[in-house]
Amino acid sequence: MSQSEPPRGLHDVIVIGGGITGAGVGRDLALRGLSVLLVERGDWGGGASTELLHGGARSAELDRDEAGRLQRVAGHLARRCVAMVPSLPDGGPGLDAIESALRGSRQCERLTGDEARRLEPGLPAHVAAALTVVDWSVDGHRLAWANVLDAARAGARALNHTRAVALLRDGAAVVGVRLRGPDGARSEVRARVVVNAAGPRAPEVAALAGATLRLRSTRHVQVVYDRQIAAVAISADAVDGREVRLVPHGGATFLGAVAGDHHGDLDALEVLPGDVDHLLQAAERVLPAIREHRPVRARAAVRPAPFRWRTPADALLRRFEVIEHDRRDGVAGLVTVVGGPVAQYRLAAERAADAVCARLGGGARAAAVDRPLPGGNGVAPPVRALAAEHGITALAAARILGRHGAEAPEVLQDPRRGRLVCRCEALTEAELVHAARHEQVRTLADAFRRVGLAAGPCAGAACVERAAEVLGQELGWSPSQRREAGRDYLTGAWRGRAPVLDRWGWAQEELAYGARRGWPGGL
Amino acid sequence: MSSPSDRLRQAWIQARQALAAAPGGPVPSPGGMDLPDLDRPPPVAALPRTGLAAMSRCINCGLCALVVRRAGYTRLPDLPGAYLRDPGLLQAAVADLEGGEPSAEALAAAAAVCPVGVPVEEVAAAVRRAAHGSPPPRPGEG
Repeated sequence: MSQSEPPRGLHDVIVIGGGITGAGVGRDLALRGLSVLLVERGDWGGGASTELLHGGARSAELDRDEAGRLQRVAGHLARRCVAMVPSLPDGGPGLDAIESALRGSRQCERLTGDEARRLEPGLPAHVAAALTVVDWSVDGHRLAWANVLDAARAGARALNHTRAVALLRDGAAVVGVRLRGPDGARSEVRARVVVNAAGPRAPEVAALAGATLRLRSTRHVQVVYDRQIAAVAISADAVDGREVRLVPHGGATFLGAVAGDHHGDLDALEVLPGDVDHLLQAAERVLPAIREHRPVRARAAVRPAPFRWRTPADALLRRFEVIEHDRRDGVAGLVTVVGGPVAQYRLAAERAADAVCARLGGGARAAAVDRPLPGGNGVAPPVRALAAEHGITALAAARILGRHGAEAPEVLQDPRRGRLVCRCEALTEAELVHAARHEQVRTLADAFRRVGLAAGPCAGAACVERAAEVLGQELGWSPSQRREAGRDYLTGAWRGRAPVLDRWGWAQEELAYGARRGWPGGL
Repeated sequence: MSSPSDRLRQAWIQARQALAAAPGGPVPSPGGMDLPDLDRPPPVAALPRTGLAAMSRCINCGLCALVVRRAGYTRLPDLPGAYLRDPGLLQAAVADLEGGEPSAEALAAAAAVCPVGVPVEEVAAAVRRAAHGSPPPRPGEG
């Protein structure tokens, strides 16, 4: 998917924002036959994280239709898991109350403490009972990309690392966008409608059109472990009563919670040591050994939600909103979509696309409803066959199948590229090259999101240099640019690692920087 | 009155029924990649909890590979560094682990050079058990 030429001319729609909602809007509109330009200032799904589709064992707001649909169209990106609420003797909502709230919407099961410990042996002895439900965890980065890719296949133009710096106006109406590309080049593109799907930056985009948009932006903090440290997803109470969730997914475990409203600079998000302690304090009540595990990074993200008074931050994210600015602000040509859980992203996108089509005077029908996402259709080869045919390890084959589904064989077309670039993630050179050629990977951080580069225990020590070489060859980087790319990646990653470093983390950190100085870090 | 194991089994069965009741029913696993089977506890449940945290100390420095290069066809540090990260994939990736195992003495020597104290022998045993689908531990075990 090339993006070398700056965009020009007139499109039906420009979508600003390449998070999961913006990507879904772009896909929906492209599948309706409209000409679509999708732009994202960073990388696709850059703010995404791994989520439980149903919101864990306490969420009664199950959108079974949407979650079931997502499982059908992108089964390779979602993993079944059991979500559990252990009952502790000293507080938290009782299981009876939770069970009662779930009644009628979700099937749940009560377990005794011993039964719960058979599922998750790390639970403490004082867990007397537990409630379990089935949930699904989903890779948010890949899900966003799959939507972008499907939009592009339907004719959309998709540009990451491209900023919308201004809205073009004709009187009060919005008629296009001024863009600044990754090389700094500016261009102007006109469109009949502009969709503002810029997530927490949606108020900034609306302001470019003279419209006021108030959001409640909520800050999420996650501590990430480089492996599954629990057999089930577990809910726990933080000291302030907020729900903390531990979610194993693929080769990682995500411990996270809503940390409250966010009022600061979106470019300077950081995780504080207190944030990490807050999460660990809650998690160790249900998984006492958690402090013995080595976290590899932490991350903070801000998610937008419609503005509501007197609503707890973690309850805000359950609804999305489509705002028609011509009706609300007298600004024609601008539609905003914000909020909603990941399970409802397609529905939010469809509603936003309906609003766009109403303004374009067309009655194009939604075509994205049950269409499989790339990799979600067809039959993929078994792991062993894929590995044998392409001369790669079975683990590498399994990982490729998990990211690309039925399209996995297309990733491995070059038989000389079976070598592993990132051993922790079993990432082959072929997949990294494919990501550069066909998945708009422009930086090592993009490769982390798209194919899991450096997501494992070495945190890049053994792979970043080699990955910079491979990507550099594909993207035309000079030797100094390749060195800079490696340094930039490790520097950026440091912001996420610093809050969670322990003594083993420091050993790993020494290794990472030693490897850059020529030590044999990646033996 | 049902026994604890009956109730546990019922929990899994109900989970499967809930899944089957979703629109479109259960999702086929993508191309032979076995997802965790809800009829049994997930594979990570079979890993020893005492060693699980120690395994997560692995920083994939590669020092152990200087002592014992491979376990089967797999580079030794890749067992904790890659294969144990997602036990759900171990059965699918079992072919990588065939081809002979290092001796207990060799594994002990590899563990001795690990700078972060990863229990290499325990890792090798855990990988072997999970790859071959060992039964879940009984209550009180592990």
